[in-house]
Amino acid sequence: MAGLINNWQEQAKQLINKTESDWLKSVREQALSKLSGLQEPNRKLELWRYADANRLSQSIAAAAEPRPENPLSSELTEQALVIRISENGFELSTDCPDWLKIKNIQQISENQWQEMIFSQETVVNLANVALFNAGVNLEVQSSAAEQELVIVYDFKDQDKWQYVSNRIELPEHAKVKITEQYKAGRLNLINVYHISDRAELIRLQDFRLTQSEQVVSFNQFEIASQASVTNMHVHMGGSIQHHLHRVNFNGNEAKYKSGSINKSFDNNNISDLVEVNHLYKNNESDVTHRSIAKDRSQIFNNAKALVAPGADQSEIEQDLKNILLSEDAKIFSKPELEVYADEVVAAHGSTIGALDEQSLFYLQSRGISIEQAREIMIESFEQEALVC
Amino acid sequence: MLKINDVYAKAGDKEILKGLSLEVKPGEVHAIMGPNGAGKSTLGNLLAGMPHVEATQGSVDFLGKDLLDLEPEERAAEGVFLAFQYPVEIPGVNNMYFLRTALNAQRKYRGEEPMDSAQFLRMVKQKIKDMNMRDDLLKRPVNVGFSGGEKKRNEVFQMGVLEPKLAILDETDSGLDIDALKIVSDGVNQLRSSDRSFIIITHYQRLLDHIEPDYVHVLADGKIVKSGTKKLALELEEQGYGWLNQ
Repeated sequence: MAGLINNWQEQAKQLINKTESDWLKSVREQALSKLSGLQEPNRKLELWRYADANRLSQSIAAAAEPRPENPLSSELTEQALVIRISENGFELSTDCPDWLKIKNIQQISENQWQEMIFSQETVVNLANVALFNAGVNLEVQSSAAEQELVIVYDFKDQDKWQYVSNRIELPEHAKVKITEQYKAGRLNLINVYHISDRAELIRLQDFRLTQSEQVVSFNQFEIASQASVTNMHVHMGGSIQHHLHRVNFNGNEAKYKSGSINKSFDNNNISDLVEVNHLYKNNESDVTHRSIAKDRSQIFNNAKALVAPGADQSEIEQDLKNILLSEDAKIFSKPELEVYADEVVAAHGSTIGALDEQSLFYLQSRGISIEQAREIMIESFEQEALVC
Repeated sequence: MLKINDVYAKAGDKEILKGLSLEVKPGEVHAIMGPNGAGKSTLGNLLAGMPHVEATQGSVDFLGKDLLDLEPEERAAEGVFLAFQYPVEIPGVNNMYFLRTALNAQRKYRGEEPMDSAQFLRMVKQKIKDMNMRDDLLKRPVNVGFSGGEKKRNEVFQMGVLEPKLAILDETDSGLDIDALKIVSDGVNQLRSSDRSFIIITHYQRLLDHIEPDYVHVLADGKIVKSGTKKLALELEEQGYGWLNQ
């Protein structure tokens, strides 16, 4: 682990020398400077408390086993535009449609760049700012309505960390569904979504990893007035998956609804953290997690809502349910409310248990085998988190 | 068809059945009545194979097989059906999918070809019509948001689709209004045949007004203490169970 920060610094210095634009050089240098004062991720950090950060610096072999199946993937329409991001940059499945402008992330202008606040807790994400060399800037046009696109992360090198940064902008009234799908590679990812007034984003993060693969992602949603975001995450497998979703309400009467399905087995380690900042009045957030851990695997799911002073009439719901399928599996589940306003409606709850024996018996008593009964029960459990 | 011979059984750590014997022949309807805590539901659960209900002594023979030696799903495929007193809810799984999965699992066990979705749809639509039930039942998640009566009707409907050889109805009449009681009873009566038997567990005689039993048994303190005809149920309705303590 001692080498992680050093590795980041060395790689960043090389990248800074190759970076052409002055402002981007400056961004990287500032990130590099901040990194030098920070420690590597470890269990003393709240966001890494239940994650095995040691795995981030371990070498990983190419995956041999099959990727876990996810029935949600088949729901992608064939007509959707696919943007494939790899070592070679990005490529499109078809010509770029009229409702979208795409460019390489390193070609954005200084005023399109948004500085993000990273700290010791988010040191791995800060490394991305210093090191990103792939990703896209997507400017959805206001004419976009009911459009759909898919971003696929597909890197050949399984061992080398890939730093990808995406900026996605939705103008007023736009309505788009964006699916982010993991295909291969060791990925450190940042997504920043800007959702303007009355725009509507439906987003699916579909990350199914083999046992050895690793992904760290930071996803920031800047939500303007009366906008709506429906965010579905499906995380399965992986040596390590660490996802932080940060939501900022920057106007009034907007909605954020997320559903997470986390499934781990063997020795997987998954963290799925959702942090919603109610900074203005009259916003609603609804966060649902459903996690299932088997074998020796481990899941950490967290839903945190902060309601700033004056952000009255905020409505918050956090519903975290978890199932342990073996004695050695572990799930850490934490709903959190930090409320500084007076007029707030908030509800939160978290449960951890095994599959309900009575329900399993009910299915068996109709002739269904115990294995199939378990599958049906898990499917039933997951359905509660399907938000899109 | 079913021969229960001197069975002792415990639910968890508590001994509930204490030497129960009962024989059910094909086509017969047996009503089991008795006070609370007598072991009526434990009997139903034991026959269906509920975990934590365990026979400690005695035997149960079902169509020549040792029923207690079979897994719950094997018992179902052999023809045992338990209509639950408290049917469980399974969100996100609709009745149609659930029933087809169950039926085809049973068919597979018996070495029969699975029923395809078109055949199955035709079959369940006919059943639901015959049983005078609403077909929205099929699209809804299993028992989710159902009223007490709807859950019991769904149990009887499942029984109609799965066509068991021995159906055990555990207080299927509890919580039913008069109309629902009639629909459930009609459903059961439609399924009566010379090769299908019923064990009807109930507290009240009123169900037996609609489903005529061949035998009525009184279960108290884990064993059958009296058997008779439908007349016995009428006597129990009048006298209660106080005489058991005399």
